[in-house]
Amino acid sequence: MVRLVNASGFERLLISLSALLLSILIGAVIILAAGRMTDCGSAVYTLAFPGSLVTGLVGGDALFSMGFCYDPFSVYDKLFLGALGDVLNNPTNGQFATTLAETTILMFTGVAVAIAFRAGIFNIGAQGQLVVGALLTAVVLVYVAPAFSGLGVVATLVLLPFGLLLGALGGGAYGALPGALKAYADANEVITTIMLNFVATSVALYLVSDHFKDPESFADQTVAIPDFSLFPSMLFRARDDFSLVALGIGVLTLVGIWYVLTRTSFGYDVRTSGLQPDAAEYGGVDADRTIVSSMALSGALAGVGGAVYVLMILGNFQTGVPSYGFDGITVSILAGNNPLGVGFAAFLFGVLKSGSIVVQVGSDVPPELVGVLRGLIILFVAMPEFFRMAGRKFYSVQPTGNRAVAADGGGGHDE
Amino acid sequence: MSEASIRGRAGSAVRNARERLFEGRSPLQQIVIAVSLFAGVALLAGGIFAPNSTASDLLTILFADSTLAATLRLSVPIAFAALGGIFAEKSGVINIGLEGLLIISAFTGIWATDITGSVWLGLLGGIVASTLLAGLFAVVCIEFRADQIIAGLAVWLIALGLAPFASSVVYGGTTTVSVPTFQTLPNMNVPVLSALVTTPLGFVVELPVFGVLDLESSLVGIPFFGALFDANPTVYLMFAAVALSWYTLNRTAFGRWVVASGENPKALDTAGVNVHRVRYAAVLLSGVLAGVGGAALALGIGQFTGNGPTMVNGKGFIAIVAYLFGNYNPIGAFLSTMLFAGLDAVQLTLQARDVFQVPRPLVRTIPYVTVIIVLALFGRTRLPEAAGDNYESGEGE
Repeated sequence: MVRLVNASGFERLLISLSALLLSILIGAVIILAAGRMTDCGSAVYTLAFPGSLVTGLVGGDALFSMGFCYDPFSVYDKLFLGALGDVLNNPTNGQFATTLAETTILMFTGVAVAIAFRAGIFNIGAQGQLVVGALLTAVVLVYVAPAFSGLGVVATLVLLPFGLLLGALGGGAYGALPGALKAYADANEVITTIMLNFVATSVALYLVSDHFKDPESFADQTVAIPDFSLFPSMLFRARDDFSLVALGIGVLTLVGIWYVLTRTSFGYDVRTSGLQPDAAEYGGVDADRTIVSSMALSGALAGVGGAVYVLMILGNFQTGVPSYGFDGITVSILAGNNPLGVGFAAFLFGVLKSGSIVVQVGSDVPPELVGVLRGLIILFVAMPEFFRMAGRKFYSVQPTGNRAVAADGGGGHDE
Repeated sequence: MSEASIRGRAGSAVRNARERLFEGRSPLQQIVIAVSLFAGVALLAGGIFAPNSTASDLLTILFADSTLAATLRLSVPIAFAALGGIFAEKSGVINIGLEGLLIISAFTGIWATDITGSVWLGLLGGIVASTLLAGLFAVVCIEFRADQIIAGLAVWLIALGLAPFASSVVYGGTTTVSVPTFQTLPNMNVPVLSALVTTPLGFVVELPVFGVLDLESSLVGIPFFGALFDANPTVYLMFAAVALSWYTLNRTAFGRWVVASGENPKALDTAGVNVHRVRYAAVLLSGVLAGVGGAALALGIGQFTGNGPTMVNGKGFIAIVAYLFGNYNPIGAFLSTMLFAGLDAVQLTLQARDVFQVPRPLVRTIPYVTVIIVLALFGRTRLPEAAGDNYESGEGE
């Protein structure tokens, strides 16, 4: 039995990797196609048949040759390796710091989406919950922090956890709302969470521009939080906006959520509600309460992500928050909704996000490419049957019958 | 007709309306309906009998010439997407990717118009792009039995990435160049129609509330309803599509197959109709309809804006709520679309006129908040029995 269950976990890993590879391959085709649509002085990349190696040896011209404005190999080189910077010689370089900073926030939004998924709920609202958590943290800390000035390390030790708690409270309340609407009014959570994303963005814009605006700034942003309540930069340079403390908290959170899901009775309730809602209810699980509490927990995690975004990267709240919430959906799906897998998927997406900056600076390829890859990865992970069919052509395996990604699936492999 | 019989008829009409509005509703729903009715009556009364009051200001906005025009214009993308959603979901495939179809067709509509110089070819381009993406979604859901919700989200996110990406490649930024837009009917020079709506009728009537009914000039001059004769062709396409969709679903063999494929695919299979083929047709049709909506949205403005949630800005998701609220009936979906679009139109006017001094970002949330309230109060609709499930026929597997 254990062997079979492990096989399904292994199959899931294979599907995620295949989906990733296929997305990169199709991404390359899109880069080439885009390279034909735009104008450039001379072709950056030429596809020829037979290749230059053959024509060089035998002589003569290629039978077929086509020039492209974008070189997919160079794009992917910048995207994946560029994100690491010169990590072997200088592990604290700026680009790698950006990658790790993005990874840290995506860990929170990824695990937020994952825990809702495991309870059978699609939380598309991690973005809005992150915004609310970030705003609450930024606004309250500005008022509270001055009381602690001059206390040194003590101030940081008090204010930093307080800031994270504020993020959790804000995001948690904003996540519990669609949870309650689903549990007690049967309102589809996909729609309500998406609508609440729009509401959060607009209300945040209103609050910042009309009430909490930094009077010395033209942009819509709040007053800067004093440095002593922010994450310390530790080994990395302060201007790279990354803290190992935050990354450590992120890793601990993932392990903690994994423990809660697999080793506690609350986690058992959540998982059975996701897999078999009727059986769970029959077994004495209060379905409505489980929906609200797992959405509150999910929102709280996204909210902490928002607090980390404020306390590690920005130092205040600014409107126009990057799409961490939507990337969290991809991270979670790619990780098979497993909290520990979220760590790896978050790092992969941290690389993509940070690498897209390198691509933007170093080539003409628009950085929106990462958005396309994000969608493709979700699409391919959602169709495990495709890879099973492809796999069966080469190598005959018994399908395990599990759907790799489904709101009611999640993961049967950590029983 | 005697006075008693008139009173009897009026009484039965009131009873009828009361039954339709309140019967079978939960207490909370009844309260909300009653409060909205009361607010409506109070607004009308206040507007008519107390000029210069807030109520009269709001009434003026509600019945401003521009309000119906804006409502119709804003309805187009939502109504087309909702019609598409009805076909897909009735057939058993929940198409939550409508937003993505609107985004991709909005960009392609502009791009194709820019290349060909023709708005109509642009519309066609938008339809083709949206149908292709819907085709991909159909293959993934029907052939590879993907989870429909996740695949739908993927369609949305792919379009959300691809449209700004393509715009940056072609136009060097997420916002495209400006292209020609659809002209309104009187200016289109359609031989008979344009003449019909612009011909002077030659009389003027004075009406309470509405003001002067100026038919001296033309039908377009009718206050409020004049907008019906002064819209762009996509608005008339929308009316036609609503009627045609209703007819197709309720009066044709294909419509019955679509419904059966969503309610009882096994029975349809037994009757010798290929369930997969019906679902493919329904999902592709949702692509075509959403394509018209997205292209019409962009070509009504003449430009695609792709930053943030793009110019589509949640209209695809509002469309889903519109058809749920309309209980999968094309006409019901259209009416609820008019409600959401109407709120959006009032919201735009409120922003422009600055009547109540409510900050703009808050005014902007009105349609989204309404969607949540409507969904919470009336979202308990019955999904087609087999919606969301994959169907495998006994043969061939």
